[in-house]
Amino acid sequence: MRGSRPLALVLLVLAVVFALAAIFYFTQKTSFLASGRPALHWKHAIVFTVLTLLAVIAANFARPKSIKA
Amino acid sequence: MLSAGLILFLAALQGVTELFPVSSLGHAVVVPPLIGLNFRETSPAFVPVLAVLHLGTASALLFLYRRDWARIILGFFRAAAKGRISDPDERLAVMLIVGTIPAGIIGFLLQDPLKSLFGDPRAASAFLIVNGAILFAAEMFRRRDERRRAVGSAPVLAHEEDDPAYARIEGLSLRTTVIVGIFQAGALLPGISRSGITMAAGLVAGLRHEEAARFSFLLATPIIAAAGLLELPSLGSDAPTLGVAIGAAVLAGVVAYASARFLLRYLRLGRLDPFAYYCAALGAAGLVFIH
Repeated sequence: MRGSRPLALVLLVLAVVFALAAIFYFTQKTSFLASGRPALHWKHAIVFTVLTLLAVIAANFARPKSIKA
Repeated sequence: MLSAGLILFLAALQGVTELFPVSSLGHAVVVPPLIGLNFRETSPAFVPVLAVLHLGTASALLFLYRRDWARIILGFFRAAAKGRISDPDERLAVMLIVGTIPAGIIGFLLQDPLKSLFGDPRAASAFLIVNGAILFAAEMFRRRDERRRAVGSAPVLAHEEDDPAYARIEGLSLRTTVIVGIFQAGALLPGISRSGITMAAGLVAGLRHEEAARFSFLLATPIIAAAGLLELPSLGSDAPTLGVAIGAAVLAGVVAYASARFLLRYLRLGRLDPFAYYCAALGAAGLVFIH
């Protein structure tokens, strides 16, 4: 597979967005995208942490690789 | 609060039905009212009990495929570091992640709206009939494929295990894996079996029966383990006592291990039709007898 720099960049941006969401849910009491009263939604935080890691790994897959001679 | 006896009954039921293609959640919702047990699936104690039982089942699957999981985990780290796939273990690791993401995201987004269905045994009964139809349709599709191959140039072999046309997991494409993963999200509905729907998708994708079951079990392990672990903190005042919880998890695990071994052995020669008929019969009984 050849790889795609734009796709890798998109995935990295996505990873940053997921990381920010994870930090938000770890630190803020909220009911945003969650049912019930405003609270610390640590399940959301864990899910976004996992998505961050997966997006970084996917970006590593998507980036063009240098070909060794 | 659920009684210890009822929790252990649910543990045995969960152990058998989680890995058989017959929907454990459907059974947990339909069977108690069908046999006259009095408990409410919408009670706060139900989800923590299910979480404990899921951990038992996930442990059984991890133990059953412990060598595969060791290779898969190492393969995952190798592939993640290199950013490319260069051996079958790495490919299987990436396939399992790609197959788990759709079900994980859909499950996470829809889990709360779907919880209302847990208290509706008649809806679960209807979905059990749908589950039976899915299994039956997958076997019909496979039989038609086998007939077509027998009529064509391929020789008729004694058993499909001998037929190279039916693939091993490693032969699946990543796109097919994503489709199977999306199908897995159907198991959020009580009555639709996770293992059933993924085995059916695996058969349609061209896997051998035993390989379809292996793929289904490997794909189910992260989801079942995550479902259990994420619900663990909700083991609050409604949770069973520690002894009952451990006993139930162990019972669910032991029964699940035995069920998986039996199913893998059965599927070397057998088909999914008996499970299809069973689901249809149980669903029909639920619709007739539960009011």
